[in-house]
Amino acid sequence: MIAFVRLYALQAAAAVRMSFADRANFALQVAGMFINNAVFLTLWVLFFAGFKSVGGWGFADLALLLGLMMTIVGLCGTVFGGYRDMAISVLRGELDALLTQPKGLISRLLARESLATSWGDLAGGIIVLGLFADLKLADLPLLLVALTAGLTVYLSAAISFASLAFWASGARSFARDLTDFTLLFSSYPGSIYEGAVKVIAYSILPAGFVVMAPVEMLREPGVRSVAVVISAACGYAALAAGFFHLGLKRYRRGASVA
Amino acid sequence: MLVGTASRAFTRLHACLPPSEPSRRSKSPMSAVITIANLRKRYSYAKRGRGLLGGFSPQHVSIDAVDGVSFEVGRGERVAVIGPNGAGKSTTLKILSGILEPTSGEASVLGLTPWRDRKALAYKIGVVFGQRSQLWGELPARDSFNQLRHIYDQDKAVFERRLGEMVERFALADLLDQPVHRMSLGQRMRCEITASLLHGPGLLFLDEPTIGLDVTAKAAIRDFIRDHARDHGQTVLLTSHDTRDIELVCDRVIVVNAGQVVVDQPTGQLRKRFLGRKVVTVLSAGPQIVVDLPGVTRRASEAHAVVLDVDTRLIRVEQVITAALAQGGVEDITIEDPPMEDVIHDIYASALAVR
Amino acid sequence: MTSTHLHSRSVEAAHAASALLSAFRLGVGQTLAGWPVLVGRCIFYVILLIVLSALWDKVAAERLPGTQAGDLPPGGLALYIGVTEWITLALPAVHLKLEDDIRSGGLEPHLLRPKSYLAQTFSQSLGAAAVRLTALGVTALALLAVTGREPPALEAFPYIVVLGVLGVVVGVLLYALAGLMAFWARRTLPFQLVIQKLMFLLGGLYAPVTLYPGTLEGVAKASPFAAHLYWPSAQAIAASWQGFLTGLAWQGLWIVLLSLACVRLWRAGLAKVLREGGV
Repeated sequence: MIAFVRLYALQAAAAVRMSFADRANFALQVAGMFINNAVFLTLWVLFFAGFKSVGGWGFADLALLLGLMMTIVGLCGTVFGGYRDMAISVLRGELDALLTQPKGLISRLLARESLATSWGDLAGGIIVLGLFADLKLADLPLLLVALTAGLTVYLSAAISFASLAFWASGARSFARDLTDFTLLFSSYPGSIYEGAVKVIAYSILPAGFVVMAPVEMLREPGVRSVAVVISAACGYAALAAGFFHLGLKRYRRGASVA
Repeated sequence: MLVGTASRAFTRLHACLPPSEPSRRSKSPMSAVITIANLRKRYSYAKRGRGLLGGFSPQHVSIDAVDGVSFEVGRGERVAVIGPNGAGKSTTLKILSGILEPTSGEASVLGLTPWRDRKALAYKIGVVFGQRSQLWGELPARDSFNQLRHIYDQDKAVFERRLGEMVERFALADLLDQPVHRMSLGQRMRCEITASLLHGPGLLFLDEPTIGLDVTAKAAIRDFIRDHARDHGQTVLLTSHDTRDIELVCDRVIVVNAGQVVVDQPTGQLRKRFLGRKVVTVLSAGPQIVVDLPGVTRRASEAHAVVLDVDTRLIRVEQVITAALAQGGVEDITIEDPPMEDVIHDIYASALAVR
Repeated sequence: MTSTHLHSRSVEAAHAASALLSAFRLGVGQTLAGWPVLVGRCIFYVILLIVLSALWDKVAAERLPGTQAGDLPPGGLALYIGVTEWITLALPAVHLKLEDDIRSGGLEPHLLRPKSYLAQTFSQSLGAAAVRLTALGVTALALLAVTGREPPALEAFPYIVVLGVLGVVVGVLLYALAGLMAFWARRTLPFQLVIQKLMFLLGGLYAPVTLYPGTLEGVAKASPFAAHLYWPSAQAIAASWQGFLTGLAWQGLWIVLLSLACVRLWRAGLAKVLREGGV
């Protein structure tokens, strides 16, 4: 296990160095994303200045949700940046070279790239969590649980979407769209969804388990809420691994990928 | 304002420079399609120094990409402009087509000054860039052609007649309704050339028109350009790295180097001296093949490979190969044209020797 | 003499118009050829509207006392958002095309032609936008029918269409300004981001600028960003002849000013390219 983490850290560090290569471009992308997030937050400040709360959620709750989301997307992009174009990697047949190597396939795909813009998300996320989310130091352990679980669900969803590429070549941009839709659902107060939309947010596009359930856990800690968050993370991770390997089996039989 | 500055600079330069060498092939001005005199283009750029302070005090460096070029091209002539990379041929072509202002000098293309009358000139010239598409990739070629008809204000009947002629001579019928990005390079190039001719230009500029194509596609394009120009009295100016483009399409060659015209001669004359050659490489399993015949020179060769320069005026390639095969043990033979760099080098060397 | 002159002028104008029309058709054709992208855009539009209308429906349903919820129209802001996103998603990436052509040297073949590259590019972009406006508009109407939400007043539709189309023109001009900066800057991304964020804030992408505090509302309404988004969308919640004319006037003003700015930038950039042979 330790050897695996060390190997992954080596690969990811190489990807990060690559994204640093063009300094000016890197700074520009980070700053751009940071400003993007700042404007988004400003819009919410204006919103809550006018409307106080929505479905029982106040600004601090939304800040907690956005902070979690930005930190999760930031960590994913910097450390597991390959998730973004995983479907394209599969469709381009880049798996063939990796299949000849002994170490884990999914981890190799995730470590291929590190996205510069994600540093802007990560910095923004930490600032929002620290300044606006109304968290106490005692919340730190649960915050780490929330981030780990949310990241696992988000990454698992992205891997599942990318695995569609094993079955359909049209999944190239569709996989990315589905990930973006999950992100979209995750950027609004959880209290606004009802009926069918809520079902979608807690299943196919699992925004519910990426940020909403973790926010509830942090606001009302208890055995039940912690259990929901952790079991969801395990469930989605297992689903993603199963889905990917099912696709891989198909790929190895030579049945897929036009 | 800019033009004023340029012409003032020209007068100044003209005053302090010795009179320029007259063009070697003077035509009567009436028939000249292109006349350029003492054309110069100087690029300056800031060269940043090393270290922290260096970035703040850049040195200005300038390069003369075109350094006093003069020549004339008559109506119906097909001229190749060749030279090593960075010799100034692309810059010259850009100035002549109106998309670059010279630092000084004069030019007249079809009676217009290109950089002052860019749009008026555009109606009269056609331009093909071998490495840059001017068609709209995701749409069928026909849509691109139609768009060009409107851009060049072409009458529908005239346009249809020209397109029909091109479709027939260039075998485009099956291509017209295909999206351009699905075509092979050769097919796309045929469409690019068609696109540049649909408004019936009297002058055609071609920049590396056969680059990257296979032998058959190259042959089709050369034949088409030559025949079309001959039949329509069209003037052609082309640059290429392929000696065959020059031999088969052009009747005159201008060699530029370091921004200056080095040689300006009919292709026929050059062919006798520099172009009528082949490079034959013979691979053998056993000892090296030795071909000792008049017109055959052996180049630096490796253990199992012999590289031979064949002068086709003195001996046919076929005879060289027969002689090689007769020795037995031949594994592979390749026949190539000498690279343009070698040809230019030879021409350049002999031109210097004459001076 | 004068009549011949006049005649040649009118022939020239006719030629220019037909070239622009042809470029417009080209933009239409290109967008239709990329229909999977168009379908993806429509799906994205639907999901976006589901999320955003869920937000505004919730706010409208709660109507917390002492908040701005009292100022909201009876049906909430779902219809308003429907129009702002309709315009936003219809905008073609004209800045990327400009940046690509200018930076890659792809401008050269265009400069060798007798018609203005800038005018042709605008026309082509508007052709692309027209297809997107149509596809997204049909999607919006279908969504309206499926959800059973109360549609805008009947007289609002012509206002929305006219102001929406002109709003797209303003948007194309704004993004073109960012794209033309490619003559001087290696990447236009920063300019594009600034313009996009101002569209969000001052254009009122997520809520009408009338909900903003006093000064900000005034600044926003007078800005080109409101001409791009706010004025067309405001018609969806409160259609009025007066509001329509006010919006039209602001749009007219900004289209003229932005066009002049684009032409100035283009001329300066072109002079640079012709002088230096590139950027």
